[in-house]
Order: sequence, then C-alpha cells, then structure tokens
Amino acid sequence: MRFFRSVGEIFGYSPFKPLVEHAILCGRAVGLLQKQFEAYKRSDFPAVEKLRDEIDELESEADKIKGEIRTKVSRSLMLPVDRHDLLEFLKVQDEIINNCEHVGHMLTFRKVKIKESLFAEFEVLLSKIMECANEYEGMIAHVQKLIETSFDKREVEKVIEHVEEVERLEHVCDMIQIGLHTTLFNSEDLHPLDVHIMEAWVVHLGYIANAIARAADRFRLMLQSR
Amino acid sequence: MLAIVVSFYVAWNIGANDAANSMATSYGSRALTLKQIIFVCAILEFLGASIYGKNVVKTIAKGIVPIETLDPHFVVYGMIAALLSAGLWITIATYLHLPISTTHSIVGAVLGFGVAAVSQKHLELSMINWAEVSRIALSWLVSPIAGATLAFTIFYAIRFLLFQRFGVESVERVFRYLQVFTACYVAFAHGSNDVANAVAPLAPIFGRTLEGYYEIPREILIFGGIGIAAGVATWGYRVIKMVGENITQLTFSRGFSAEFATATTVLSASTLGLPISTTHTLVGSVIGVGLAGGLTSVNIKVVQKIIFSWILTLPITMLLSIGVYTVMVVFL
Repeated sequence: MRFFRSVGEIFGYSPFKPLVEHAILCGRAVGLLQKQFEAYKRSDFPAVEKLRDEIDELESEADKIKGEIRTKVSRSLMLPVDRHDLLEFLKVQDEIINNCEHVGHMLTFRKVKIKESLFAEFEVLLSKIMECANEYEGMIAHVQKLIETSFDKREVEKVIEHVEEVERLEHVCDMIQIGLHTTLFNSEDLHPLDVHIMEAWVVHLGYIANAIARAADRFRLMLQSR
Repeated sequence: MLAIVVSFYVAWNIGANDAANSMATSYGSRALTLKQIIFVCAILEFLGASIYGKNVVKTIAKGIVPIETLDPHFVVYGMIAALLSAGLWITIATYLHLPISTTHSIVGAVLGFGVAAVSQKHLELSMINWAEVSRIALSWLVSPIAGATLAFTIFYAIRFLLFQRFGVESVERVFRYLQVFTACYVAFAHGSNDVANAVAPLAPIFGRTLEGYYEIPREILIFGGIGIAAGVATWGYRVIKMVGENITQLTFSRGFSAEFATATTVLSASTLGLPISTTHTLVGSVIGVGLAGGLTSVNIKVVQKIIFSWILTLPITMLLSIGVYTVMVVFL
C-alpha cells in the first residue's frame, strides 16, 4: 500500500516485551542446566550433549533479542526509563544465559565418575540457583503491571521485595559454593583433573547466580532512578 | 466543475488519511472495532463539517486575501489555482509518505494566490491580511503544545487520582466506554476544522451574492462532509488498520487522554476560525501522554519530520499556486 500519510510512527519501538522474553529464555536455560546435571549423574552423556545444544539454541535466540533491542532503542525514543540504564540491565541479564552456556559446555569436557555425596552438594547448589532464577522471573513478571500503572510506587515496592529475595538466595548460593570448594580441594582420593573441572563448574555456576543478582539489582536501579 | 472535482478529491484525501490517522488510536486500543470506527467516523466527520465547519471556511476563503476588492474572475481563478496546488502537493506528499498537513497546504496555496495578485498589481501587498496570516501561523505552533499540555494534565490526573484510588483494571474498564465518546469527539472536531481545507475555495466561487459580497453556502459544507466521509469509507479503513495495528501500547485511558486533548484543541480552533492540523495536534497530545508517563515508547523523530514537512509545504504550495494562477490569468 503506497498511497497514505501517517503520523503513526509517533508510537515508537517498545523494548519491554522483548526484555521479558529474554528473561524467560534465561530462566529456561537454568532449568535445562539442572536437567543436564541430572543426565550427567546418570552418566547419560548423549543426553548431556543434547542438552548442551538446547542451551546453545536458547542462548542464540536470546542474543537475537538482545541485538534487536540494542539496535532499535535509539536516542530519539522517549522511554519511561533511562535508555542507558535499560541497556545496562539487558547486558547483565544476558550474562545469565551466557554463563549457562559456558557451564553447559564444561559438562561435556570430561566424563567424571562422581561420588553420590559430592554430587548431592552440586544438586543443592543447582536447586538454589533455580530458586533464584524463579524469584527473578517473579520479578520480571511485574513488568506488564508496571507499564499498565505507569510505574506505580506500590508496584515498584513489590519488585524490590523480589530483588531482596534474589539477593538473599544468591548469598545462600555463595555459601554452598564455599562448602563445595572446601570439599573439592580436600578430596585427596580424586584425580586432580577431576577436581579441576569440577572446580570450574562451581565457579561458573556461581557466576550464573551472581549474574541473576546483578541483573535484579540493575532492574531495581533502573526503576528507582526514574 | 473542475473546482468541484478537485475539492471533492481533497476532501476524500482528508478523509482517507487525516481522519483515519485521528481514528487510529481508537483502533489501537481496541475500544471499537474497525467497522464501528468507520461508521462513527464517517457520520461524525460529516456532522462536524456541515454543522460546525463554517468559521474555518470563512477564514481561508476571505480572511487571508481580500477577495471583495478583487475582480470576481480573478477570485475564481485564484481559488481554483489554490485548490489545484494544494491537491497536487497533497497527492505528492501522500505518495512520499510525508506527514504534511492539508491545512498548511491550502493556507499556503491561498496565500500564494494573494501574492500573485499583488505581483500583478491587482492588490497592494499591505492589503493581504498579514495579521490573520500570523495568527494562523501562531496557531500552528500553539496547537500541538496545547494538545500536549492538555493530554499531559488529563493523563497525570488519571494516574494519580484514579489509578491509585480505584486500581488500574477498574479504571480502564470505565475508560473503554469513554473512549467511544472521544472517538466521536475527535471525528466531529476534525470534520469541523479540516472540511475547510477542501471546500473553502468553493465558497467564493459559489457564494457570491448579487451585491458582490461573499457568503458561505451551507451546501458546500455538506458537500465537503460527504467527501470526507467517502474518503474514510473507501480508503481510510486501510490506513486506520495499518496505523492502528502498530499502536500496541495504548490502553483505553491513554487513548482517551490523547483523543480528548486533540479534539478539544481542534474544536476550540474551529470556534476561533483557526485552520490547524489535527494530526499534528494529535502528535502533540501523544507526546503529552508520554511525558505524563503513559507510554512505553514515543518516537520523537516524528517531530523532526513534521517540522521538515512544515518548512516544505508552505513555499511549495505558494509557488505552485502563484504559477497556476499566473498561467490562468495570462491565458484565460
């Protein structure tokens, strides 16, 4: 259709729905990672590799969304939040899924026969990270309501409660990590390479929890500096 | 005859584009279905044009160029030249997707006719009503700002008086019905102001009394109203659909705020006989809602585009009109 004049462009590109989609992909990646560890425990290595590929796919999907937001949120848009805050938040949120991808790959580097008791500690860590991610998704679920109410104070307060819970859970993850490190570095019976790879897992799982907490913090900052 | 055809075409174009743009917000928030919008819009544009269009027609027809002091033949040539020029420019701009205003086009074209008459020594330069011209130009600046201010105030009030007290959902439910009212209000206001862009030049052609005065025959208003309604019904629905489908961030309360502000500004201008651009006022109102925290994204670049087409429209329509008028005077 060629023959028209319009001022409809005044309604610009809104990045909020894609931001929520991106966050949901991050949550799904954490879920897949948990499954990947379960497969590892069963020594079902084909499944481990399959899950790695699935996480990779989610990551590249998230990258596309990130790219779209970054190119379309131009300076000529008047947004209810600071553009810089928004892009910074997106960058940190993207680190969640990036770190999931890293761990997903690390699980395929070496086949380790892990003791039941040691693996249990990993499972605790993973379920805490999952909890953290769920809490984060709970926070993100408020975006729609925030927009509808034009960022009503009460809505913002609800978001902040979620952020505080995410931070608390991240701290719990830290504690579990410290325990795992201690266990790993005192396992004289383990092959040093096994210790090395598992230590890398622990560190990078920590990065995931860390990224979730920092993204939540960025989100809070974005709302509060309006 | 030529004048009637061109006038109808301009009216049709106004209905197809400007009326449709004004209604797209109602479709965007889904306050009404497309069919309902077309129906309501065609009827209220017609009513606005035929009942309340007279003041602005008067301004464009005889407020700018003192047609009563001119030879009636030249007046007819001038008005035909103005219509042709405005019609041509509107067509080109529509094809190029430029967000120009039909109001600016016709005012520029009529002013061009006046300047041409001056250059041919039929008028003195000082006889052109410059006070009126500057009043109109000022209104073009003021109207988007008025729309923005009004829309800002309305949405701010909704946000802090209604949302906080009654909750978003229940407030939006009420505004769904109120937005049906503002949709009608916008259509009426738009008809009352923009019909002049198409039919004002017909007034001096058909409204000359035996004593040499010019009146505004009601028939031309009705004629313009029909033209606009036809534009809405035959082409406007596509524009409404296309524009409205990209408006996803409007809720009923936000649509109401933008529409109420636009319609009030435009209707006030009609009362004052000021020809203003409805779409530019709407852009101002949308920005107002955005500033009040009502929208997730407002593209300010459109303002640049509008200013650009402003600067383009006046000289182009003036020059076209000067050219066409001179040709007519020399050859007819």
